[in-house]
Amino acid sequence: MYACLHSAGASRPALQEIAQQFSPRYESRGDLVVIDVRGLERLFGSPRAIGEELRRDAADRGVRARVAIAGTQTAAIVLAIARPGVVVIEPGGEAAALAPLPIDVLRRAALLGPPPDGDPERVALQVFSAFTRWGLKTFGEIAALPPDELSARLGRQGLVWHAIARGADVRPLVPDVEDERFEASLELEWPIDGLEPLSFVLTRLLEPLSLRLEQRDRGVAVLHVALRLVTKHTHARRLELPTPMRDVKTLRTLALLDLEAHPPEAAIDRVAIVIDPTPGRVWQHTLFARPHPTPEQLSTLVARLCAAMGQDRIGAPVTVDSYRPGAFEMTPFATEHRNDEQRRTRRTRREQLVQNSANSAGSAFNVVPVFAALRRCRQPVPARVAADAHGRPVKVTTDRRGFAGGAVVRATGPWKTSGEWWAGGAGQAGWDRDEWDVALSDGGAYRVFLDHATRRWFIDAILD
Amino acid sequence: MASLARADLESLLHTKNLDRTLTRFGPGGQPDREHASTGHVGLDARLHGGIPRGQVSELVGPRSSGRTALTLQMLAAATRRGELVALVDALDMLDVESAAAAGVDLDRLLWIRGFVVPNPGLCRDRNHRALVQAVRAFTLVLEAGNFGLVVFDAGEAPADAIRRLPFTTWLRLQRMVEAGSTACLLVGSDRMTRSPNGLSLQAAALRAAV
Repeated sequence: MYACLHSAGASRPALQEIAQQFSPRYESRGDLVVIDVRGLERLFGSPRAIGEELRRDAADRGVRARVAIAGTQTAAIVLAIARPGVVVIEPGGEAAALAPLPIDVLRRAALLGPPPDGDPERVALQVFSAFTRWGLKTFGEIAALPPDELSARLGRQGLVWHAIARGADVRPLVPDVEDERFEASLELEWPIDGLEPLSFVLTRLLEPLSLRLEQRDRGVAVLHVALRLVTKHTHARRLELPTPMRDVKTLRTLALLDLEAHPPEAAIDRVAIVIDPTPGRVWQHTLFARPHPTPEQLSTLVARLCAAMGQDRIGAPVTVDSYRPGAFEMTPFATEHRNDEQRRTRRTRREQLVQNSANSAGSAFNVVPVFAALRRCRQPVPARVAADAHGRPVKVTTDRRGFAGGAVVRATGPWKTSGEWWAGGAGQAGWDRDEWDVALSDGGAYRVFLDHATRRWFIDAILD
Repeated sequence: MASLARADLESLLHTKNLDRTLTRFGPGGQPDREHASTGHVGLDARLHGGIPRGQVSELVGPRSSGRTALTLQMLAAATRRGELVALVDALDMLDVESAAAAGVDLDRLLWIRGFVVPNPGLCRDRNHRALVQAVRAFTLVLEAGNFGLVVFDAGEAPADAIRRLPFTTWLRLQRMVEAGSTACLLVGSDRMTRSPNGLSLQAAALRAAV
C-alpha cells in the first residue's frame, strides 16, 4: 500500500518531515510525497485510519494536504492530485477508481513516470494532444485502448500513459533515504578449511546482522555468502529463503547445508555476508489449533532432507491435468500455512463428523468409504500374462522377486487409454495401453496393462 | 492384592526411571492420552479415539490388504484437522491420484521419496543403504516436531532389508516421538516395532478386491 500526500503550497522539506514520521521509505516528487505504508496497519489500524493520521499530522504542522491511499503509487498520486480530502482505494480497485477522472489529471501525473527520450513536457504535450484529437476524455477510455496499437502510434510513452490510466506503477519507489544495507565481512588471520570452523565465523557475522534486522522489523529474503579462497577466487552462494526469517541458528544451518552440497574448492581467508531484507513476518499463533512447525523449522528440515535425499525427492505432490497413468508433479513444500485454512478445515471436519455420526447410526463398520488406493510401480514390472480368446488375463506371473503371481481369480477391464502419441510415437513420450485390474490366487490385486507399442504386459500398480 | 503388587512394581520402575516401558493398554483401562483420529468412526471407536500421539504405532498386513487405503485415510483425516503430515515413502510408491481421491490435502503433505527398490538384483547393499537413508529422513522429520502424523511406509520393502536395520533404530525412534504430540505410524508387511503404548494394527488380506 502506498500513501500520497499532496499539498500545492507546501515546501519539499515540510512534506519530507511529515513522511519521516510514518515510514523511512518515502519519495518526494515536487509538491507531493509518496510513502510506503505497508505494515503501518499494526500501528494505526485500517488504511483510512492511516490516511486520517497523515492528514492530521500535516494539519498540525500547518500543511493543508490531500491524502490518497492505494495499492499502487500511480493510483495514489493521481487520486491525491484529482480528489480533495482522504481517499482510500482497496488493492485491485485502482483502475475502476481512476476510470471516471478527466485526462487533464493524466497530463500532470505522466510527468511523474520514467523520463522519456527528449523534453518530458514536450513529449507529454504531444501525447496529450493525440488523446484529445482522438476524442478521449477520461482515464477509463484510455485504459480501454488496445496497448499494442497504442504503442504502434505513440511509442513507449503511449504505453506509460496507458499504464498510468490503469493505475499500474511505471517505476518503483526510489526512497529519498537509501535502504539500509545489511552486510558484514571478516578477514581471517589464518585460512580455514572445512565447515565446522566456518560455522563459528558465520555465527559471529550473523548475530549482529540479525539484531539489526530485528530492530528494523526486517527478515532475510535472500542470503548471499561470499567466501574468498586462498586461490583468490570467490566462492559465492545465494540462498533464497521461502519466508522472511532472521533466526541466527536457522540461517547458519541453511548456509552450512548449502555449502555442504556445494563446498568451496580451497581454504577460506575471508567471509562476507550480504542480506537482501524484506519486511518482517507477522506470525499470529492460535490457541485453538495444534501448533505447526515454524517456518524456520520447516525450512531447516527441508534443507536437511534435500541434503540427505536429493532436491527432487522432497516436496508436496501435485496432481496434473493429464490422462497419463500415474502422472504427478512435485512442488516445494510450503513453509507457511494460513490460519484461515485451518478454520476451513475445522469446518470440513465438523461437517464430516456430523455426516459420520449420522452414518454410524447403524453398524459403524458398514460405512467404510471404499476407494481403490494404488501403490505405483514407477518402473512397470514386466509380466507374463496368459490371456483367453477375448484377451482377458487368466494367469499373471513375473520373474520379479516378491511378485509371485498366479491364476486370475477375478478381472475387470479393459480400460483403453492412450495419449501424447503426437509427441513422438507411443513408444517414446506417448502411451497406448489396455489396463486390467486383476485379483490373483496369491491374494494380491494388481493393475496390469498391455502396451500396444511393444505388445508386452506389465504390472503398473498394486491395489492396496 | 494383585493391584497392590502392580502398584508397587510400577512405583519401583518409576523410581528407576523405567516406567516408560510399561504398557498400560488393556484390561487396566486406557490411559489418558491424546489420539489422532483415523478418519473412520468405527475404527476410532475400536481404538479408543485413534492412533495414540507421542507413540510409535504400526500397521502391518499382506499385499492388497488395504494398508495403503487406511494410511491415506489417516493422512486425509489429519490434513482435514489442519495438521501438517509427512510421508516417508521408502519405495517411492505413492499414487498421488489415490491420495487426492482419499481427501488428503496435498499442500499439507510433505512427501519424501526413497530409493528402495523391490528387486535390487545383485546390488543387495543398495537397498540397505536406501533404507537407512529413508530412516534418517524419518528421524529428521520427527526431530523437527509438531507434525500431526508422520508415516514411514515400507509396505513393499524386502523383509531382509528391514531385518538388517539395527534394533536400536526403533528404540531411538520411540524415544524421539514420546516427548511430542506427533502420531507416528510404520507401515509394513511384517511387524517392525511399536512403542509400549502404541498400537499394532493388522490388516487382513482382501480377496477378489476388484
